[in-house]
Amino acid sequence: MQKLYYILIAILLGFSWGCESDEEFMNKPPNQILTVEQAFSDPAQVLSILANLYSRQFSYYRLNDWATFGDFNEAFYAHTQGVTNEFHTNTTWPFGGIRNFWTTWDYTYIRELNLFLERIETSSITEDLKTRYAAEAKYLRAAYYLELAQFYGGVPIILESQSYDFSGDPSYLQIPRSTEAEIYDFIIEEAESLKTILPADATSKSRATKGAALAMKARAAIYAASLAKYNNSITPSVSLSGGEVGIPTGRAEEYYNTALEASKEIIEGTAGSYSLYMKNPTNLSENFAALFYDKNANPEVIFADDYLLKYRTHYFTGANQPRFGAEEEEGGALNPSLNLVQEFELLDNTFAPIPTTDENGDPIYYESQLDIFANRDARLAGTVILPGSNFKSRPVDIWAGYQLANGTVISGNDRGDQRILPGKTIEQQVVGFDGPVEGAVQNAQMGFYLRKYVDPAPGSGQRGIQSEIWKIKYRYSEILLIAAEAAFELGQPDISANYLNMVRERAGFTIPLKGSDISLDRIVHERRVEFAFEGLYFMDLKRFRIAHRIFDGVSMTKENLLSGIGKATKRSTMPWGLWPYRIYNPGSENDGKWIYKEYLSKQVTGADNWQLGNYYSNISNEILNNNPKLVRQPLQ
Amino acid sequence: MKLKLRKTIYMMGRYFLFGIVIQMLAFNFVLAEHDNGQDESIDAVLVKVFRGSTFQRNFSNSAENPSKSGSLENFLVEASQPPVFDLTKANNGVDANTKASEEQITRDDDADIIVTGQVLDEKGEPLPGATITVDGAPTIIGTVTDIDGNYSITVPEDAVLDFSFIGFESLLVPVDNRSQINVTLSVDMSSLDEVVVVGYGTQKRQSLTGAISSISSEDIGRVRGGATVSSGLAGKLPGVSFRMPDGRPGAAARVQIRNMGDPLFVIDGIQQEVQQFNNLNPTDIESITILKDGSAAIYGVRAANGVVLVTTKKGSRGDKNTININAYQGFQNWTKFMDVTNNSYDWAMEKVQADMNGFGTTNITKEDLEKYKLGIEPGYQSFNWKDFIIKKNAPISQIDINASGGSEKINYYISGSHLKQSSVLGREFTFGRTNLISNIDVDISERLKVGIGINGYMEERLNPGIPGGDDYWLPRYAILRNTPWERPYANDNPLYLNDIKHNETNWAYNNFKYGGYKRENKKYLQTNFTGEYQFDFLEGLSARGMYSYGIEDVLMDGHEYTYETYTYYPATGETPEEYRVTGGSTNPWRERETRKIEKNNSQLGLNYSNIFGDHEIGALFLAERYETRARRVWVHAVPATNILPLLYFNTMDRYDDSDFEEARIGYITRINYNFDNKYYLEISGRRDASWKFSPDQRVGYFPSASVGWRISKEDFMESIVSGNILNDLKLRASYGILGDDNIGIDPYDYLAGYTYNQGTGILDRTPIIGTRDKGQPITNITWLTSKILDIGADFSLFNGKVNGSVDYFNRKRTGLRGRKYDIVVPNELGYNLPDENVNSDKQFGGEASLSYAGNVGDFTYSIGGNLSYARSKFLSSYNPIFFNSWDQYRNSAEDRFQNLSWGYKVIGQFSSQDEINNYPVNVDGQGNKSLLPGDLIYEDLNGDKIIDDYDQRPIGYGTNLPVVNGGLNFVFGWKNFDFAMDFSLASMYSFTADNELRRAFRANGGNMAEHLRDAWHREDPFDLNSNWIPGTFPPNRFNQGGLSSVNKTSDFWMHNVTIFRARTIQLGYSLPVSIINRVKIQQARVFVNGYNLFFFDNLKDYPIDPEVTDTNGLQYPQNRIINIGVGLTL
Repeated sequence: MQKLYYILIAILLGFSWGCESDEEFMNKPPNQILTVEQAFSDPAQVLSILANLYSRQFSYYRLNDWATFGDFNEAFYAHTQGVTNEFHTNTTWPFGGIRNFWTTWDYTYIRELNLFLERIETSSITEDLKTRYAAEAKYLRAAYYLELAQFYGGVPIILESQSYDFSGDPSYLQIPRSTEAEIYDFIIEEAESLKTILPADATSKSRATKGAALAMKARAAIYAASLAKYNNSITPSVSLSGGEVGIPTGRAEEYYNTALEASKEIIEGTAGSYSLYMKNPTNLSENFAALFYDKNANPEVIFADDYLLKYRTHYFTGANQPRFGAEEEEGGALNPSLNLVQEFELLDNTFAPIPTTDENGDPIYYESQLDIFANRDARLAGTVILPGSNFKSRPVDIWAGYQLANGTVISGNDRGDQRILPGKTIEQQVVGFDGPVEGAVQNAQMGFYLRKYVDPAPGSGQRGIQSEIWKIKYRYSEILLIAAEAAFELGQPDISANYLNMVRERAGFTIPLKGSDISLDRIVHERRVEFAFEGLYFMDLKRFRIAHRIFDGVSMTKENLLSGIGKATKRSTMPWGLWPYRIYNPGSENDGKWIYKEYLSKQVTGADNWQLGNYYSNISNEILNNNPKLVRQPLQ
Repeated sequence: MKLKLRKTIYMMGRYFLFGIVIQMLAFNFVLAEHDNGQDESIDAVLVKVFRGSTFQRNFSNSAENPSKSGSLENFLVEASQPPVFDLTKANNGVDANTKASEEQITRDDDADIIVTGQVLDEKGEPLPGATITVDGAPTIIGTVTDIDGNYSITVPEDAVLDFSFIGFESLLVPVDNRSQINVTLSVDMSSLDEVVVVGYGTQKRQSLTGAISSISSEDIGRVRGGATVSSGLAGKLPGVSFRMPDGRPGAAARVQIRNMGDPLFVIDGIQQEVQQFNNLNPTDIESITILKDGSAAIYGVRAANGVVLVTTKKGSRGDKNTININAYQGFQNWTKFMDVTNNSYDWAMEKVQADMNGFGTTNITKEDLEKYKLGIEPGYQSFNWKDFIIKKNAPISQIDINASGGSEKINYYISGSHLKQSSVLGREFTFGRTNLISNIDVDISERLKVGIGINGYMEERLNPGIPGGDDYWLPRYAILRNTPWERPYANDNPLYLNDIKHNETNWAYNNFKYGGYKRENKKYLQTNFTGEYQFDFLEGLSARGMYSYGIEDVLMDGHEYTYETYTYYPATGETPEEYRVTGGSTNPWRERETRKIEKNNSQLGLNYSNIFGDHEIGALFLAERYETRARRVWVHAVPATNILPLLYFNTMDRYDDSDFEEARIGYITRINYNFDNKYYLEISGRRDASWKFSPDQRVGYFPSASVGWRISKEDFMESIVSGNILNDLKLRASYGILGDDNIGIDPYDYLAGYTYNQGTGILDRTPIIGTRDKGQPITNITWLTSKILDIGADFSLFNGKVNGSVDYFNRKRTGLRGRKYDIVVPNELGYNLPDENVNSDKQFGGEASLSYAGNVGDFTYSIGGNLSYARSKFLSSYNPIFFNSWDQYRNSAEDRFQNLSWGYKVIGQFSSQDEINNYPVNVDGQGNKSLLPGDLIYEDLNGDKIIDDYDQRPIGYGTNLPVVNGGLNFVFGWKNFDFAMDFSLASMYSFTADNELRRAFRANGGNMAEHLRDAWHREDPFDLNSNWIPGTFPPNRFNQGGLSSVNKTSDFWMHNVTIFRARTIQLGYSLPVSIINRVKIQQARVFVNGYNLFFFDNLKDYPIDPEVTDTNGLQYPQNRIINIGVGLTL
């Protein structure tokens, strides 16, 4: 009996000893780590690395960070008080933008792309796949350099992975910034060489194709061209002697030609068949909205960063959809401003404020809320949710209160509040369930909600499901407008008008513009309304060198707001709203009708002031210190 | 074979049932022995007796008995042999009613007399089992007292009797020819012979050479301040810093040793995580010991921040079987939390003030104000949300039952307890825990001892499912977010949740019915098997081994329901009344997490201890392996209904799986030597290896040494010692090198390659799991080393009535992770140079403790206090580079205190607009345009007439744990009453009031904290030109964060906190033994106990508990608890 105990004890103590050496015991196998050889050993694994690189594409506007979409008073930040304060009480932008939104310096990403390109050489997968995958990686690398160029101008161009040898002298790693021209040249050349390798497949949207390469080339060229043209003439002080910032004026024409040429290649169908999205010709506003969420054989999309339910989703819709009737207790984070809304032209090609008052200054009474927006560019209702319209099969309920005959307004403290109107005994709703209520967050404080990129699919606003709308990086419309701009700048206004009219026709304009109608204002304006909330406006503000005139630090009066619509340099230092009111005047013919008032939120206390140094994002001190060969940005 | 063996063992460890069966068998064995009517053995009595101080002094140091030298065990064996020493059997066995048979053995026939008498304690109760021996007799003569404390002994006429009993001071009484000697023994306060648990063993307190503090079960058991062990440690141990920022059900306190970082917890010899420590039942704890210096080095790898050793109760050999039942019921209330305006009129007035101050206009009219004042019309009524949400007197209760005892070959302790705690946020927010513990030690043979310890708990955290990561957040935030004119139910009809537009803070929905549930069940089971074998070929040499298996199993289920909120439409002429759905959530959120953490720990070693005359030698060699494996699965689904509890594949959209392993190996050696209990030396070393580092960097060596000198034993001190002024004084010093593998790198950072499952790319509509380059491998990093020097002294004065110790320590850590900044590589390289072990810091301070105990007649008292100070300084980084002197001033850490808080100095508040207009310094950065009377004036330290970063100075300490910690403890007894008070002190830490504590309407324009109403304001808020009325705070604006008074850290908002806090205050009454004995109860006691009853601090302006860390003051504060309870011993 006693022996049994001894044996038991011996087993207890000795079981994990003796059998296993210390070293064996310590080597716990990792369960998600592959050696480089394993990682490059089969095509699926190589594609998996590529998938990671695709998933990390940089976008200045990021669907999983809705706040990136709203700056420059194109929208009001209504998400929380803190965010409102952050964007609307400050006057100047930091050199990296609010929340450092204008910065990225991800050379780790570039290094991983370079490593991929180097390692795939020794991979055992087929040559065809090697070529294809390598071309895709090169596309992603050039695309990232284009993002860097747009923020910083010239940056160090590193095309091979570097490593430090611990010799104590890291100077051989210090690569100076390229010139601004060189970085665009590199992107253009890279795109040029890739277009013959990448497939000419217009149905492939989320992998690099010939179309994507050409689109990148066109965008890079048009940016370089406008920088060459406008920087020296408007803001000559924004330059560096080494050319890291500033492209010689003389190169403008060459770049415009490159842009026009690349655009034409796409337009002519050499990269596959692309066209403007036109699945719903009977409702052009719906058609325009659908262009962003319809992923089924969408002919307009050239390249997109794709999402898929359950696998990769974003909460942009949950944050921004109309608050009333939202799946969750949130929404309405961004409210498009009247500044943007009134930029949508009348269908007779003229610009006019949204008509709130008649020539005598008396309010105009509307039977229906939507009437005030009649005869406007179809893209307006496709970009913005207007009062009186529907979203997810539900009418939005945007109105600020009842206005009595004496002009008094009866409203509430929050959305949908009830009060007792004069002459009544019981309470009734006196403000829309979607707002607007001054200072109350997540409602239509500008009188509008965002529609573009907001997903109408049921459940898209649920935290558990979210949305799979993709972020379109290049679409055919941009190619047409690049061609139009290049042709205009090259002195071919009729050709320019032709391209412009293709885009405008889709927006419902029936009177084509003539060559003589084309001006830079027209080009800038068309891009602003076509690409609102797509991230291109910021780059346009910079490359046309108009930002410092639009954001001049002067508070924006109602007169400022209503004059000069359609001008590229029109002041826009504060976001204005448009508030609908219902008339309460029993017995009067106007009882129950709608009036509108332009409204400047009390939350908006800062008048934006663009400093010339804002034309380029700052390179942080840390980056500058670590590489003494980098030169500081101008005027910072 | 190897696999099979392991499998078998794992199986054994895994099944609790198996353990129970073994224990039941063993337990039956004990009972069987008692059934045979066997009285308790002499050995067992001796064990008790031997713990008394006198015995040891008398025998082991006796020159006449050189042969008695040897290990304690051997001595016992020898001592219990009848020819040498015979004792009367004492009846403290289970069969207590049997009358003792008194047997006397006399050894000397010459002139002996019979002495009889009684031994009593200070209360006059008889002391059964007290030992009476003849002092200095050539052979041992002795007896013990019987159940009534009576004794009878035959001794020489001139003998001196030595009365001793464990826990009491022994007493020498000359016989002087008397035949009756009654003595009263008093409680031994000196506790020099108390046995203290140290790393891998125990030591007598008198021989400790390290900085080691401990508290006993009694001390811990008295605290009923929450559900966790750590929450009861405030002010209890010198050198332990304490802060409890959060007091929700099941919450734990932040506890560190000497502010060195998170300590290592060792429970019954096994390295554990803090939650296993926290979730012990305090009643089951025998002692908690903290190793504060080099003495922790024996735990090597993770001991750099000190070690907390916990021993659970085991029962003693020869203790009679007792059953204890304790129960208490308590009621909890928040100590302090902010008030808000709960009257719509007040709210509106403040809103007008804030609007006018911020914007110059307001939407609220004077007519509106009148309506708010009347408060009748819908939208203008008032509702008190705080009263609605806070459910006062939230119950907490615990019951525990334990049994312990022992016979000559076995001792045991088994216990079960259950605790339930609910929250003031509603009774549906709860924490419950059941603890089971069973420790049994058995002598299988004379040489072989085995033990099995099973220690487990099951806890449940259950509360309504509420959006957000912390389900306790929105209910608290609701107090600030909701305004008095909002109401929880539509038309006040509790059947309909009102649509208040931000419905997630409508507390009416924060319950199981509407909100859903979140339930986390955690089970932890620790099974320790121990064995010790005494070799026969070498006296004092034994082998010991331990295997321990621990498993933690977590199952979390959460379901946030969809719900609807309503707006009430009264009946009109045309339409009937209606509750219309206007809000809510259609998002169901269903999640489940399962976690399994398995731990294997095995120890195998040799132990040697022996006494050669005045030389006592101990040695230990031990090898230890420790591995854990943690597996976790989290799934998320979007279910179709609120009702069905199961998860289905087609509604599931996330599945996260992970599996981590850890492994550490240590080889430990320790040698103790002491000469004549006067000079002590201890040397220990540990070779440790951690799986975290690259294979060639894994091993670290951690030696330590300590010395002690009991100066009071020196001859030249004798006059003082014998005068009973100074009874004991020991000087000690220790130095140790400790390691820490928690240096901020992840396992496998030393490998190059690719990591799978990094993002998902959607390539042509196909989801492809990504793989990413791991980056540069980190192969050159290894342990940081931590060197602790400790110098201290322990002393005992006035017959042991005063005891104390002082310590100074200095810990220097080198090899902290840092970068070699003299080589900067461009960011464009794409990776950072790997960090290296280059930085250093130090932690220094000391602590002192003092206690005094005594009695005046029936009144006994003891008073204790401790105070500690521990602060850290950064020493150096590798060749730091600064761009200019200001950069160095502002950003250098070199040779500076760590955890400094920087900010602006406020030199006053503007008293008028004139003063603002004429003020020469640009305070707000906007030419003072944004300022109003009452706004803060910052000191322009550099005199450049503008307040900017250059005007910042250090204004505070760290915001985590206090630098100064202390405690005061009082225990009083009078007859059957006992009274105890504990206080804690904390100082030198900073709290910054921010967000809701600083800005009105910060909570998205909701409500404002009441204290901010004491702000500068206009006499007539509607009139911008009316007079300003001064207040404490700057004028409120409607949540404008950019204003200079509120957007800067300044000493107006940051405070250096000192708090003196009452912890436990307890009054108990033990029912007279004469009464309860009739119902066969040995002891019965009732008590009232208060915890956190009051505190004094210097944060009077703010309605916060001074221990919260959230700067918005909205943390769940600690509770003030009143308990009533009863304890029975059967």
